[in-house]
Amino acid sequence: MRLLLVEDELDIQSFLKRSLEEAGYQVEAAADGKTAEQFAIEGAYDILIVDLGLPDMDGIGLILKLRQLGVSAPVLILSARRSVDDRVRGLEQGGDDYLTKPFALAELLARLRNLLKRNSPPGNESTRLRVLDLELDLLRREAIRSGQILQLTSQEFVLLEYLCRNAGRVVTRSMILDKVWGMRIQPDTNVVDVHIYRLRGKVDGKGQQPLIRTLRGVGYVLKDR
Amino acid sequence: MSSRTARPVVHSAAWRISLWATLAFACGTMLVFVFLHRFVADDIQRRSDAWLSGEVEVLGDVAERTPKDAVYSRVVGEVAELAGKEVPNKLLTESSANDSVFFLQTGVDGSAKLWVGAGSGEANLKAIRTTQFVSGGPTDLLVQGFEIPFRVASMRMEDGSQIYLGLSERDELRVLRSLRLRFILLWLLLVLLGFGIVFFTTRRMLSHVREITEAASRIGLFDLDARVPTTDRSDEVGHLARTLNRMLDRIENSMRQLHTITDALAHDLRSPLTAIRGKLEVSLSTMAQHDQAEQIVSAIEELDRLNDFLSKSLDVAEAKADALRLNRSQIDLDELLRSMIDLYEPSMSERGLQIVLRSAGTLTISADAALLHRMIANLFDNELKHLPAACTVIVRLDAVEDAASLVFEDDGPGFDPEVILHVFERRVKGKNSQGHGLGLAFIDAVARAHGGTATACNPRAGGAKIAVTLPIAALVEL
Repeated sequence: MRLLLVEDELDIQSFLKRSLEEAGYQVEAAADGKTAEQFAIEGAYDILIVDLGLPDMDGIGLILKLRQLGVSAPVLILSARRSVDDRVRGLEQGGDDYLTKPFALAELLARLRNLLKRNSPPGNESTRLRVLDLELDLLRREAIRSGQILQLTSQEFVLLEYLCRNAGRVVTRSMILDKVWGMRIQPDTNVVDVHIYRLRGKVDGKGQQPLIRTLRGVGYVLKDR
Repeated sequence: MSSRTARPVVHSAAWRISLWATLAFACGTMLVFVFLHRFVADDIQRRSDAWLSGEVEVLGDVAERTPKDAVYSRVVGEVAELAGKEVPNKLLTESSANDSVFFLQTGVDGSAKLWVGAGSGEANLKAIRTTQFVSGGPTDLLVQGFEIPFRVASMRMEDGSQIYLGLSERDELRVLRSLRLRFILLWLLLVLLGFGIVFFTTRRMLSHVREITEAASRIGLFDLDARVPTTDRSDEVGHLARTLNRMLDRIENSMRQLHTITDALAHDLRSPLTAIRGKLEVSLSTMAQHDQAEQIVSAIEELDRLNDFLSKSLDVAEAKADALRLNRSQIDLDELLRSMIDLYEPSMSERGLQIVLRSAGTLTISADAALLHRMIANLFDNELKHLPAACTVIVRLDAVEDAASLVFEDDGPGFDPEVILHVFERRVKGKNSQGHGLGLAFIDAVARAHGGTATACNPRAGGAKIAVTLPIAALVEL
């Protein structure tokens, strides 16, 4: 996957480049709009990360210009601004995504994956999810582990489904709040942890290999190996 | 605008002003007409009196010179009848039967000597006998059988007899009546015309004021770049509009300045935060030793809290200046509360707290989703952080008039009495509170930004109570 990173803060640019490369992307970085434009036209990128505050031009101006020039790769917009510009909303509706600084790397990676998935032809959506010995029947809303049906509430099922869909990858608390409860909030209290704790009690029975792992300071991961 | 058609015209200032102006105008013109009427009535009276006095003199003269023989009554009678045909104010179409004039001559003993007029003259004679005539001018005489009095002039003859010439006031009154009718019609027309003119001019003038008011109320809440409509005229209203616009220029400038400062502050702090957080995450992923990882984890958590504090702080600052920018959408509060309770219930029961929702059902309001979510999360966080075990939180949602009322009530220890009056201010927190003292200020800020209110109190029954009201519709639709 070829990725163009447009970010003028070199500190941010360098850690992003490194982390994205670790995640398997081929990263090209540009620190201003003009360089980014050149890169985007010359190289065929699968996805772009564009910071809104560039020294020589507005990030949105750059994206709109690239669209005019025929660059159709999806864009993840990074912004340190407080309010979301109407033009950003427009781009969001057009299939691009938006992330506020500061962000967790896991969330950035998840959004990139989503953008790439959105732009690839839809595969056959399976009605069953399987992670190791855990199986989710999405039609009957049933979770089965080692042949045993788990007694989950509907909310717990949605949470487990989200973890399964991202099995092997880190999900942060704010990602869970966003995708499972539909809220972009940052509670002062450990509300998500309690939900995970309860779910874990039901999913990881006695003597079974624990599936839901906590990565402190980062989030959670459902083990797939 | 819906308000323009919905408000009845009788409640408008234009209506009231026109009503008072018309009342004054009507009284004035009425007064003028009354004086005019009196003047005309006096004039008519004077003319008919002059006619009566003249005629009675002529008749007296004729009666004096006519020999008192057999033809006397015929001669005098004919002269009297002739006079009756020249009555002033008489209608031309009136029949020849003349009952508006009478002539009477009485002898020295007061008995009737000669009568010219309709009927026998008995009633007239009776009325004359009971009336005291003053010499010099005609007098009013009410005769039985006639509704309208006669105006009677008398003259004493040399032979001691008395002659009377009576003229009914009927014609005089008819003239006055028709004059009054015309006056009243003219007056009504004038008053209506005056009302119309005053009403339409004031309405036109006040419609400018209303346009300015409507535009100004929209501007305050939504976009500060708009201006109230101005006219080229240099009257008071035009001046008002231009003054308002100059004031708006200044407000917009300060508002923009505030936004620039808060945005720049956010940007300048978030960029390094992003870099620090990224570096911490990178080092966390490469960290082997557990105890060092623990420190990085807590550093990341501190950083996230700092970032949240920064956002809330700026939101509160902007809301205090009524400058918080909203991105409104339709939100069902009932649904939102249910999913919030779903989110918070496990944490609450983990701490031995019970939560009860009392909602009247779907209640959709126009609000900024992100701010509202954070505000309600703050309300729950507040309960979670401050309540001891075994307490109950009751969340009530009702529609009160055109606002949504959201009440959080608990049976805990209540607010610290020292801070109860200032709980919605920044950095105010109870002695045992571990928060940064921004949660409740943020709740107040969001409520304010939506045109609602937030209040806190310790009810008599104990516990703490926070009540938030939020208008159901965005204010522009009012």
